[in-house]
Amino acid sequence: MTVAIVLLALLGSAWLLAVIEGWMATGRLSPAAPLFNGLAHLGRESIVPRSPDRVFFEAAPVLLLVVAVLGMAVLPLAPDLIIADLGTGALFINAALAYVLVAVIMAGWGPDGAYAMIGGWRFLGQLIAYSMLIVMPITAVAMRAESLVNTAIVGSQSSLWNIVYQPLGFVLFFIAAMALAFRAPFDLPTAEGELGGGVDAEYTGVRLAVLRLARLTLVVTLASATTVFYLGGWHGPLLPPWAWSLIKTLAVAVSMLLVGRYLPRIREADLMRWCWIMGIPLALVNIIIVGLLILVVP
Amino acid sequence: MSSDPAINLTGARQKRYSVLQKLVSRALARNLSCLIVPGPEVALAHGLDVTAAGLRIATTPRDASVLLIVGDLPGKMGDAVAVLYAQMPRPRAILMVGGQTPSTLSGDDISSDLSQEDLTEAVGQLKRALADGAFTDSPEDFDASVMHARIEYVCPMHPEVVEDEPGSCPKCGMDLVAREAGESTPEGGSDHEHHEDHEHHGHEHEHCHDQEHQSHHEHQSHHGHHEHHDGHDQDHGHDHDHNNEHQPEHAPENAGTEYTCPMHPEIVRDEPGSCPKCGMDLVVRESDDHSEHEHSGHDHGEHDHGEHDHGEHDHGGHDHEGHDHGSSGFMSMIEVTKDLPRSADGLQMDWLEVPFGPVFPGLPGGLKLTLTLDGDGVTEGQAISLVGVTSKGDNVEESEEMDAETFIAYLSAAIPLAPVSYRLLACLAIEQAAGLEDDSANAGARTGALERERIASHLGWLAQLGRQLGFAWLTQRASTLQLQVREANRDSLAALEPALRTLGTRLERTPLLKSRLMGVGILPTESSGLRGPVASAANEGGDAWARLWQRLAEISASLDLIKSGAEPELPVLRDVGDVSGTGEATVDTPRGEARLSLKLERGHVKSYELDTACSHHIGLVPKLVEGQELGDALLAVGSLDLSPWEVTS
Amino acid sequence: MNATQQYVLLLGLALGTVGMVLSLYSLSRAIGPTRGEPGKDVPASSGVLSRDPVWGRYHARYYGYALLFLAFDMEMAFMYPWAVVYKEVGMVALLDMGVFLAILFLGLLYGWSQGAFRRQ
Repeated sequence: MTVAIVLLALLGSAWLLAVIEGWMATGRLSPAAPLFNGLAHLGRESIVPRSPDRVFFEAAPVLLLVVAVLGMAVLPLAPDLIIADLGTGALFINAALAYVLVAVIMAGWGPDGAYAMIGGWRFLGQLIAYSMLIVMPITAVAMRAESLVNTAIVGSQSSLWNIVYQPLGFVLFFIAAMALAFRAPFDLPTAEGELGGGVDAEYTGVRLAVLRLARLTLVVTLASATTVFYLGGWHGPLLPPWAWSLIKTLAVAVSMLLVGRYLPRIREADLMRWCWIMGIPLALVNIIIVGLLILVVP
Repeated sequence: MSSDPAINLTGARQKRYSVLQKLVSRALARNLSCLIVPGPEVALAHGLDVTAAGLRIATTPRDASVLLIVGDLPGKMGDAVAVLYAQMPRPRAILMVGGQTPSTLSGDDISSDLSQEDLTEAVGQLKRALADGAFTDSPEDFDASVMHARIEYVCPMHPEVVEDEPGSCPKCGMDLVAREAGESTPEGGSDHEHHEDHEHHGHEHEHCHDQEHQSHHEHQSHHGHHEHHDGHDQDHGHDHDHNNEHQPEHAPENAGTEYTCPMHPEIVRDEPGSCPKCGMDLVVRESDDHSEHEHSGHDHGEHDHGEHDHGEHDHGGHDHEGHDHGSSGFMSMIEVTKDLPRSADGLQMDWLEVPFGPVFPGLPGGLKLTLTLDGDGVTEGQAISLVGVTSKGDNVEESEEMDAETFIAYLSAAIPLAPVSYRLLACLAIEQAAGLEDDSANAGARTGALERERIASHLGWLAQLGRQLGFAWLTQRASTLQLQVREANRDSLAALEPALRTLGTRLERTPLLKSRLMGVGILPTESSGLRGPVASAANEGGDAWARLWQRLAEISASLDLIKSGAEPELPVLRDVGDVSGTGEATVDTPRGEARLSLKLERGHVKSYELDTACSHHIGLVPKLVEGQELGDALLAVGSLDLSPWEVTS
Repeated sequence: MNATQQYVLLLGLALGTVGMVLSLYSLSRAIGPTRGEPGKDVPASSGVLSRDPVWGRYHARYYGYALLFLAFDMEMAFMYPWAVVYKEVGMVALLDMGVFLAILFLGLLYGWSQGAFRRQ
């Protein structure tokens, strides 16, 4: 039952994001569009490039979807609305999200096309930039909660959300999450103006449908993680806990989609430089500040 | 209309019984995405709002179900269009707007005139056709000659051996290697090297590296040397010249050989020895400023130091038995990479020659940029135009003679991104040839039209910049404004003024934009052949950021001009009669000055000569992209606002 | 639910997702076959039929960062258990990790001074 509810929430959020994506592309808000879009993808041919690395090519979209779903499975929507409340939930998220890189590189390498391959290797550079900014802020969150259990992390924020307690960590995590989801302005591996679609470019038909679904699901999962780690999860007045979780998750996800529309794509060299020269020192400062706060404030 | 003639889609999908088909067909009809050829900027310049007509703009053929061709395409684009269509997944359709369908396609599915209403109606028809006929029992394969490059087989050692079938070389018995016919005629020496690399870098061909080696030996058969890096460096020497310029230890008067550390390229010594930083043995390397005789001197001197222990290279100079080379079973990294080109940091990598264009989402359609990529860096690149206008019309008399009006129409149609400017240019040149005085009555209206086009053109460039940078808001805003400005009169332009002026403020406040554009594509003031905004921006820093602001400033200046001037009106040729003479005119088009000189004979254009800004600017591309990161290189090319149509050939 | 059950559930979820994707694939196969046509299966490269293989030695220019990344990624493996017991152990834990991070941070500064953060 829990599984069904969480998956339904995931699918519903992905559908909402697809509607918003459609609105950004066409200027029309049409709730039925994602459904027709999916059906149209089913109706198109799904081309397999000649002499590809077939295993990589086929595995990439599926892996990306599996990763996003597994990530969601360890995040709570409400105190008892969680598929698997692992003892190492926060760590599991990290482990699952690491496979996003694997999936993207496989999608890039698989078709034996220049645009896709460059896109895949670009994402490896992107991982080197954002990865520490996912891991380090979560450490500071775990320090406060004294636990890696995701429900305990939400519980630790009952009086004060982490976005207030450690705003620096939130900012870094949010940016890194966008880079991880490779949405604009961090869409280096799929850059249309630079790589003609990059790692997405060779997927057509049903495979493209799965890939798009996976990317939207990934955004939802990351938004949900942001909610759990920083926005107090299910905490909130009046509404039932699951509603608060969903509202916060959707708000974060929509803002992730919208931000990219108003920004030009970042340069890879700049991204790496800023992440390492500013991001990582700031993340360390965040850990130290949180460490001191925990000791000073009872 | 119910009496629509049934449209049979040539790009329908093969049928297989399914209850879902009806539903899927409907969904397909609701989700039309189109790939615009030559490019979205041409559709915009013609005043077509493709999104409003009900089509989503796709950026790759894989994502598109409609191939939307806007206007007549020059013959050189034919192959590209065929390839794009072939790579679209079925069901697919061709929609031809305002022109002849290229002959490489087997006709279009729907054609319409060049207007928004006709386009919208055609899209409606297409939707109905898809809903009914997305699936058919027996679709026909699409085919074009470009898809069938003849495969021929050559011997890696004996390039003169070319066979039609696989087999072994009659001279040396080696297996022949497949290649596409036509690849054998390289444009230059270094290109040839790249091709070799492509052919052989598949890992299963590792033994070929050795064999290729021997052909190196063949070329330089007088030196029985075993230093293979050098053979390569000689070929690629120019590629890392720039790298060595800032090496402090490098003595400029160095003649011939120098020694460098494989790990620390900045260590350069005149004599063999070990690296002061890491202790590794120094390797021999060709000096940068080598000339022919210096090089041969180096080859001879090389026996003195066998610093590379390539076990299997101890063969004599001439008689390679060769086949035992790959047989050792173990390939060290040095073995695998020794023939690969060397990057600026001294690593040996596979270089790829990757086409960007003619229909690439980040560049104007018709421009074909070919970049040699080393990782995501550009080692060299060149741009050509597939849609350029002919610069000289000497052969006008051979075909049917062009009267003045036809010539004007021809010239403005050939340049869809700035038709008004070239119409004006042709009018001025013809009027001058006819000996007419400048008339002040028309001048104001003509200037107004020219300035209005300048605004529209710069807005089109901004939209293109947005597409390149994934800056969706900018693309949408600039496209909307461009469509409004295109045919606006003075009053409506005045109404649009606040929107145009806030665009600049908005861009100034956009985070990341400045860091993205600053320092990209720097053109110093003394660069030759700069015209228009590119030339003016050279004084302000000469990078993409300066060019952005130059264009925004020109939008403002043009607005002021129109406000204080006359109502913009399309230039119309005054009555010239059957006169003869020669005339020359210059117009400051949105992309810079264009000159046209022509000879008029009895009211007919006998010959003409056209000189445009873009013909000069396209020559700047190789220098701009060299050594840049891929994204920066594309941005640098984009910031020139090259109109491939204006590149004369 | 004990830990084993949780992981079995996650495995089941992964397999279920794969199963859903596979059923989508078979559904799309039922709608129609993909027609093999000349040129269709060549990777799209903006209108040029580019049949050259691209797999090869790729120049990853961020290798300077990559080396530093290894050091930091290792360090993070120690951070998680430390973070959980941090409040319990108190000031000592902060000092311990502070020294560790300081050394690591010096490495970052050294790498910076040596131009590791430059595009190669």
